[in-house]
Amino acid sequence: MTYPGGRDHPRRDAAPGVRPFLRTKPAPGQSEAGDTNSTLRPFVITSGRVDGPDPDINMETQVSVHPGAAPTRLPPEKRAIVTLCVEPLSVAEISARLHLHLGVTRILVGDLRADGHLEVHVLGDDFPDPETIMRVIRGLRAIS
Amino acid sequence: MDYEPFPRQLTPDQRVVGTARVPDEQRRTTPPVPVKIIVAGGFGVGKTTTVGAISEISPLTTEAEMTMESIGVDDPGPATSKTTTTIAMDFGCVTIDKTLKLYLFGTPGQSRFAFMWDDLIRGALGALVVVDTNRIDDCYPAVDYFERAGLPFVVGVNTFDGQLGYNLDEVRWALAVREDVPVLSFDARFRGSVRDALLVVLDQALHKSIKLNSH
Repeated sequence: MTYPGGRDHPRRDAAPGVRPFLRTKPAPGQSEAGDTNSTLRPFVITSGRVDGPDPDINMETQVSVHPGAAPTRLPPEKRAIVTLCVEPLSVAEISARLHLHLGVTRILVGDLRADGHLEVHVLGDDFPDPETIMRVIRGLRAIS
Repeated sequence: MDYEPFPRQLTPDQRVVGTARVPDEQRRTTPPVPVKIIVAGGFGVGKTTTVGAISEISPLTTEAEMTMESIGVDDPGPATSKTTTTIAMDFGCVTIDKTLKLYLFGTPGQSRFAFMWDDLIRGALGALVVVDTNRIDDCYPAVDYFERAGLPFVVGVNTFDGQLGYNLDEVRWALAVREDVPVLSFDARFRGSVRDALLVVLDQALHKSIKLNSH
């Protein structure tokens, strides 16, 4: 697929950002406080939802594709997440690799989980047990 | 991951996610259990360097943009009741083995970011508070927070260029931390030094874990 004068367009980031037509300047009178580079408020992708990310979904939480997920069309950001999570990945890593804000990523992952696309590997909030910590200690000691 | 312009006959060991084909054996991977350590401190104290020294991936940065009720010193006045902050958070990881992965999160230590620490410390093993002796008060909020939250933490004085501005006793005095909180010096640029500092954090975590499990 080619666009007229496509070559002249600056190369867009491969990461799914915001759909181009949504890239608008903030309306006059709207606060521009501290936001110079991003042209779009990130929570447009989440339909404006900023609250209530699933408390199960933390930054280090591992996420992977649900084995039984039915193939459906997804918006670009969600599709990118599903594509990335072929191998288990942490929420923070998804956020960094796709240049999506962490809060947005958490909401999208929560949606994908609710729709059966992703499996979120939930762990209890308990403090890790001594055996786990000993394993981390042994693993770190092995690093030179 | 291959993309094909035209649909092809799918074999049973393949399925379609969007337009991407996912080989069957890859999705059977069991994810590792994540454990995390927080690296906190003011701007420019060497958090990213610390994470980068030990991480097997170069530190990734994620942005968290949050809308929060403004309180206290950040209050911009009666006209606005909410303010938006963007925070950059660095993180790295160390694969311990196939089933265990250590994550390190570098987070700004100022009190105005404390609203996200509740999330951050959930399930955390402990924290390394990185201190620059020239700006020692930058770390007070982090120390206060971890103390109150009961999270095991260690104060690590980053020795820029091998120089220690004050001795560790003076730092301990200035921070007024409990006797059992280790205060140590380390060099954020060197893997071995960061590893040793993290081992002290883990030692604290182990103490807490044993205490919790004995009850």
